Amino acid sequence: METRATTEQTKSLPSLLQRVPAVAWVLLALIAFFAMLAPGFFTLGNFLNIAVQGSVLMVLALAATIVILTQGIDLSSGAILTFSGIIAVLSMQAGLPAPLAMLAGLLTGLACGALNGFLVSWALLPPFIATLGMQGVAGGLAVVLSRAGAIYADAPFFTFFGSGRLLIIPMPFVVAAVAYLCTWVVLYQTPFGSYIFALGGNEAGAALSGVRTKSWKFGVYVFAGLLAGVGGVVMAARLRAADPIVGVGWEFDAIAATILGGTSFEEGRGGIAGTIAGVALIAVLRNGLNVIGLATAWQAAVIGTIIIGAIVLDVLLKRKGILK
Amino acid sequence: MTGVPLIAARGIYKAFPGVQALDNVDFDLYLGEAHVLIGENGAGKSTLMKILAGAYHPDAGTIEVQGNEVKIQNPREAHSLGISIIYQEYNLVPFLNVAQNIYLGRAPRRQTPLLGALVDHKKMHADAETLLRSLNTDVDTHATVKFLGVAQQQMCEVAKAVSVNARVIIMDEPTAALTSREIEQLFNLIRLLKSKGIGIVYISHRLNEVHEIGDRVTVLRDGRYIDTKQVSEVTVDDMISMMVGRSIENLYPRNYREPGEMALRVTGLSSQALRLRHVNLNVRCGEIVGLAGLVGAGRTELAKAIFGATPYDSGAVEIFGQPIEKNNSPAKMVRRGVGLIPEDRKSEGLALILSVAENVVMASLERLFPRSFVSGKKEASVVDGAIKDLAIATPSGKRQVQFLSGGNQQKVVLAKWLATNSRLFIFDEPTRGIDVGAKAEVHSLMDRLVAQGAAVLMISSELPEILGMSDRVYAMHEGRVVAEVPRAEATQERLLAYMMGQENGNTRNN
Repeated sequence: METRATTEQTKSLPSLLQRVPAVAWVLLALIAFFAMLAPGFFTLGNFLNIAVQGSVLMVLALAATIVILTQGIDLSSGAILTFSGIIAVLSMQAGLPAPLAMLAGLLTGLACGALNGFLVSWALLPPFIATLGMQGVAGGLAVVLSRAGAIYADAPFFTFFGSGRLLIIPMPFVVAAVAYLCTWVVLYQTPFGSYIFALGGNEAGAALSGVRTKSWKFGVYVFAGLLAGVGGVVMAARLRAADPIVGVGWEFDAIAATILGGTSFEEGRGGIAGTIAGVALIAVLRNGLNVIGLATAWQAAVIGTIIIGAIVLDVLLKRKGILK
Repeated sequence: MTGVPLIAARGIYKAFPGVQALDNVDFDLYLGEAHVLIGENGAGKSTLMKILAGAYHPDAGTIEVQGNEVKIQNPREAHSLGISIIYQEYNLVPFLNVAQNIYLGRAPRRQTPLLGALVDHKKMHADAETLLRSLNTDVDTHATVKFLGVAQQQMCEVAKAVSVNARVIIMDEPTAALTSREIEQLFNLIRLLKSKGIGIVYISHRLNEVHEIGDRVTVLRDGRYIDTKQVSEVTVDDMISMMVGRSIENLYPRNYREPGEMALRVTGLSSQALRLRHVNLNVRCGEIVGLAGLVGAGRTELAKAIFGATPYDSGAVEIFGQPIEKNNSPAKMVRRGVGLIPEDRKSEGLALILSVAENVVMASLERLFPRSFVSGKKEASVVDGAIKDLAIATPSGKRQVQFLSGGNQQKVVLAKWLATNSRLFIFDEPTRGIDVGAKAEVHSLMDRLVAQGAAVLMISSELPEILGMSDRVYAMHEGRVVAEVPRAEATQERLLAYMMGQENGNTRNN
């Protein structure tokens, strides 16, 4: 027994490499591939582009990661993103100062998340069903409130979060970084974070340890809803408009990024560091395929194929014991 | 024993649907004592302990902690009363580290102003370190629990139990997964805890452990309190006869006959993952062979390995004289005439929301309809025949299986295998959760099967059923078949001794 434990703990370089998920290698390969094919790809300007494009997805993927760590799933994050953006912009049109309107957007996300959490924790709906319903409700309300068209806002404070810069760093990226930091603190520095791993790893065991599992699971969905709200407000700020279908399908990119990053539906395995690589992969793919000029119609199929390929590679390498 | 007990339970009753799990049970525990709780599967040991730990509430009875009557509502309250339990099931979180697991739900917070919501990792690891050292273990507090060995995980569980300032620690079969060296370590730990004045309740199936670690022993049987003795005053045989206690009523309809051709021969079957070690056994046509063992002895695992449902490492299986290629699939075994009636009828034996008819033909669709199109007429004739033949109480073949009683559900599973023309049946707990009347029906069906030349391998945790139904009995203990006992020589005491690993207990031949 002791010997096994010590080998586990030895952190030689190869064993560190073993912990790098397959997605990171695929990512490096893609960057090299696009850099060779398109001269405009490997430039600082384009990387800033990628960072901006990936930021909202990052925020959403953080939410997906903590939910999946609890063995749940959130299919409503794209719709909540849309709905929150609509509420923020509508509030501004109604004369609310930009900061308060943005806060209204965040609270919208929080409220949707709370409803998800209630349905999962106390109404005992499977997360798949509860959040699928929420997807319909939030997405539908977004269409109703926007009268099925884009609505515009251009308050400087608001648009600063979409196109402004902090020194040279684009604001959406700053927001994503702050969201990452907050999620990191919650996940690794608070008891709540341990309970997230416990909910996914051994919910019954956690309950028998005296953890109030229902309340904390509720908290997970509230937090995820809030993050979706943040994503929605930043997205609207970037576009200077809220659009009733802007978030359609984003939940799947967020889930894909999470899985690519090595978080699994089993046992509460994973974490948010891998999710960065998953998001980067998707953002680089979308950008790179544009830069090399692949027709939009083909992009979805190619992206889907590469995502599946990367996940299969990760699973196979883990099964063969090459990766941990 | 003098003074006020650390904990005392008096007149505890607890019923679950269909079972009186505890029926007026008493139990007490004193300072620095190890009190062993023994009894057969289903005797009520775990239920009693879950009540003390706040996971279940008793229907009646009182619990006193150091002389004060208490109501323990939930695990948290049990902790605050100084009662900790280490469950049989794994209760750690795999992807948290050792310290996080020990203090799960009770992590120390930072004292710095504004940061009070954050975990004080430094203090948590220091506390965990101190705790683990005081238990004479060298587990790394930063190690991820998932990657620890079983013994070290057990140490974490013990440390977690101690960390609530426990005065009472309940251990539910703590040695089930440990090797003998690891068990020795655990016993040293228990002696250490006792010397600190902690009372230990120790549930075990291993009677040879009782004398080594226990001070007193209490026996439960069928939910009832039998007796409490000083360990020094009882022998293993005494304990076994207290656990068994009852005589077998003669309600097993068996007609014994000369066995025929070999239906199943297993030679040297081993699997590390399933914890099976060099299993040999055989079943002939016309006989019912019982497979006895305690929970965790590997009986279900063996059945599934034979049936091709889970792969094994080495060994050979022959079905009706034909060698089976290793790591076969259930689909191939079904074609060779093998049927498995699984322990968990509802999840593995039936599709509950489908009809009786759909369940009956499920395994024989390809045989009945070789041209791939289902004929309603032919299906109906098979199904109606089965309903009549087995006397399945259902208004029609269209009834959803979930609405049938347990006994009728079991008949549907059996009908499924009869429709495939199976000739070797592996029954895993054939009458679990079935009422007495239906039990007798299932038993007479089993007798009818072998009368018609089929072979039956029957796993059961009910010794009366094993003794009443079997031509021969194999006893399993910790993944091995430890004995083969012919019907004439099988007694509850003798089988129990084998099942408990008392190979030299009160028997002559091995």
